[in-house]
Amino acid sequence: MRFFSPGDRKPRVGFFKFSCCTGCGFQLAYFQKSLEDTLKSFDFTFFRLASSSGTPEGPFDLALVEGAVTEPYQIIELKKIRANSAVLYAVGSCAITGGIPAIKAGVPEMEVQNKAYRTKLYGLTSLRPSVLGDYVEIDGSVRGCPPGERDLQEAMVSVLFHRKPEFAGYSVCVECKIKGNICVLVAEGLPCMGPVTNAGCGALCPSYHRACYSCFGLMGQANTAALKGKFRKLGLTEDEIERRFSLFDALETKK
Amino acid sequence: MTGENVFQKNYEVLICKELFAGWVEGLRDDFKLIGPVGDGVNAEFREIASLKEANLDYQSTMLPPGKAYLFKPLEEIVLFNAGPGGVAAEEPPIPVQKQVLIGVHACDTHAVFYLDKVFLGAFTDPFYKARRENTFIISLNCKTVTDLCFCHLIGTGPYLKAQSGYDMLLTDMGGEFLVELKSERSKNLFNVKGRPPEAGDWQKKDEMETRLLKSFKKDFKADGLRQVFLSRPGHPVLKETAEERCLSCANCVMVCPTCFCHDVYDETDLSLTRIKRMRRWDACQDYFFAQVHGGNFRSERQARLRQFVFHKLDYEGQFGLKGTVGCGRCIRWCPTGIDLTEIAEEMMK
Amino acid sequence: MNPYLPFKAGITGIRRETGDVRTFRLELKNGLPSGAPGQFNMVGYPGVGEVPISFSLLPSKDSPLFEHTVRAVGRVTDFLAGFGEGDEIFLRGPFGRGWPVNEVKGKHLVLISGGLGLAPVRPVIQMADQLNAKRITLLHGARDPESILFETELKEWRKKGIDVKLTVDEPGEGWRFHAGIITEIIRPLKIEAAETLAFICGPEIMMRFSARELFLKNVPRSNVHVSIERRMRCGTGLCGHCQHGIWFVCKDGPVFSYQELSGYPDALL
Repeated sequence: MRFFSPGDRKPRVGFFKFSCCTGCGFQLAYFQKSLEDTLKSFDFTFFRLASSSGTPEGPFDLALVEGAVTEPYQIIELKKIRANSAVLYAVGSCAITGGIPAIKAGVPEMEVQNKAYRTKLYGLTSLRPSVLGDYVEIDGSVRGCPPGERDLQEAMVSVLFHRKPEFAGYSVCVECKIKGNICVLVAEGLPCMGPVTNAGCGALCPSYHRACYSCFGLMGQANTAALKGKFRKLGLTEDEIERRFSLFDALETKK
Repeated sequence: MTGENVFQKNYEVLICKELFAGWVEGLRDDFKLIGPVGDGVNAEFREIASLKEANLDYQSTMLPPGKAYLFKPLEEIVLFNAGPGGVAAEEPPIPVQKQVLIGVHACDTHAVFYLDKVFLGAFTDPFYKARRENTFIISLNCKTVTDLCFCHLIGTGPYLKAQSGYDMLLTDMGGEFLVELKSERSKNLFNVKGRPPEAGDWQKKDEMETRLLKSFKKDFKADGLRQVFLSRPGHPVLKETAEERCLSCANCVMVCPTCFCHDVYDETDLSLTRIKRMRRWDACQDYFFAQVHGGNFRSERQARLRQFVFHKLDYEGQFGLKGTVGCGRCIRWCPTGIDLTEIAEEMMK
Repeated sequence: MNPYLPFKAGITGIRRETGDVRTFRLELKNGLPSGAPGQFNMVGYPGVGEVPISFSLLPSKDSPLFEHTVRAVGRVTDFLAGFGEGDEIFLRGPFGRGWPVNEVKGKHLVLISGGLGLAPVRPVIQMADQLNAKRITLLHGARDPESILFETELKEWRKKGIDVKLTVDEPGEGWRFHAGIITEIIRPLKIEAAETLAFICGPEIMMRFSARELFLKNVPRSNVHVSIERRMRCGTGLCGHCQHGIWFVCKDGPVFSYQELSGYPDALL
């Protein structure tokens, strides 16, 4: 079978969530323009946000997993999901770069526990945050916070075609130029993370005159040192620079 | 065909600016008017209703007018329809909208000549061709230059010397425009009576040009680069600049008026019935640009930077034209201000 | 005419060459196919993409069928591997400048190929009778005996008078030919340098060392031709990905003489 066509069994999709805000799940559930086609083409056999029925046991043609790994049970679940899925895509920054849950990566775990969980949330334990790729092989990364429509669509279509996906790997600057946005970094001196950030959002923030804060995470070819140098020239303090770079990439920058 | 000169029009006239603006507004019935809006180097070419919205004293724009309006950043090049009968390919409609680009500087006009070589060369790009034919270009001699301009070293400005390939040339003479008609269609279209320029007017134009030429800040020797590039492709300045400053963000390429590279990819809707084959501006600065299975010909950042510098300042044999027009955009819009002319100078030391 | 518009080709046969290499025999659905040795088509499928693949067999006056030999290594080629006889694929072409077969007359033609590199060379062998070469030698290297392409045709090629020499990196039991790298079977070759024309196709590193062997035998750089690979999106010199120095590999190549390629950075050559 080369690709799923009408009349075929629909590909079975499981959507799983670890430590995150569930925003990626929402993005899929409200998959703007393509919601109808998505439901027509796929069988969501496990997607808590959409339905309380369904089984997490699989087997799945596609598993979409959002969230960072911060608790031991998640590693076991993740390995089980992997074993039951033909294709597994990590969805969203938390699952791919650590995202927001990874901000604590720079602080000793005991300190975090004492501060956050000591009194009211007693009994909760947490690991140093990590990403899906640390434990299982992933077939692709649908970047974003939440992912953009193009990459999300590419992820779903690649499964229908039984082919490898091709996600954007270039910078947000490319998307800005395609839209014709006057560069906020060069023209206005805003500390924009666009030059080191993976595209996919359609240059959302710069289109509204805001500096990119890298919610899609650093692109693979990012030259962070060069941009930090530029930010210093703009007058940002080391702390301010650090915060911009560790907001979504703490695992990378606080190694 | 009497040969009588009663039919002959003056191909150069001086007219007052208001009259010219009126004529431009009259074009609106048939053309989309596109002109520079905004100030200084941050202006942009946009659709306008009249010349009142435009600022013909602008210095530069981020996106070059020729590239932005002739070679779209993102467009459909093939459509596929899939159904029970199989998949059928179909050509997207060829653009027919007529447009007039008003106030295109000399460097940007030369950049269009370069794009012509690319898209109307061995293979013709039907979308570019249609837009080119439907675009009336009114060029404009510069009144000021920026610190980053170096068209005077390339021979592409600040005054436009080319006699064809565009439609009209304007020179701001104070209260009047000197209008020079450069194409047959402009001779048919331009029906405003004005005063024929006299020797004194031409002299004034020459003097303004001379004055302007003296105001350039940039100076570097563009000749003899070939040998340097050949003998020192691994010059340390490339590695240092790449590692310390190059972000691989591709801004330089995106804003370059002669950069023509584009990626081609398919956008498929989830019902798998409609597939759009798209093209999008792409850049040699991107890591994946020269990747093939089993290798990447420019995996190193310095190799990608070198590709840009060499392609702009050398490799003239490719189209018989220099890859740069000296507009300075790649320097201005580089977040860390990487300057290809400084790299070239350093290599020639 | 929109140079991006692909046309349909029907698969009339598939031959499994080695593990992940398949040869597709194709027939255009509309119109007559054309092509020269060393030229390529952009082969693909809507929704998946296109990749440049050289002809491994050309249409001729006897048959409108042609072949592409494809290794499944990426998004598009993996997808192509899923096709069967009777299916349709999409292609555009022929593109590029192929092997300079007009220069072969009266010369000693040395064909050197590595692995899948034999595929683009095969159309030259296909028209060997018409080339009027003084002599034709084919030197082919592969990883192991099992991965030698077109093995059943070798006997036929020898019958045509082509001197076929083989080498493999990992010989198994019963291997009767040379074992080792390709340069080891180039070195003992007796040639008259000025009368020799070489066509080389294979991994870049293999082409580089093969060419070097020939230069050591004083074969001029302008007589050594290689078929090089670059990323391509259009095949028509528009998209820019394949640029190497001043060249567009898609329209100025993919076959170049060593002379033409020298002096530009970013080659593995």
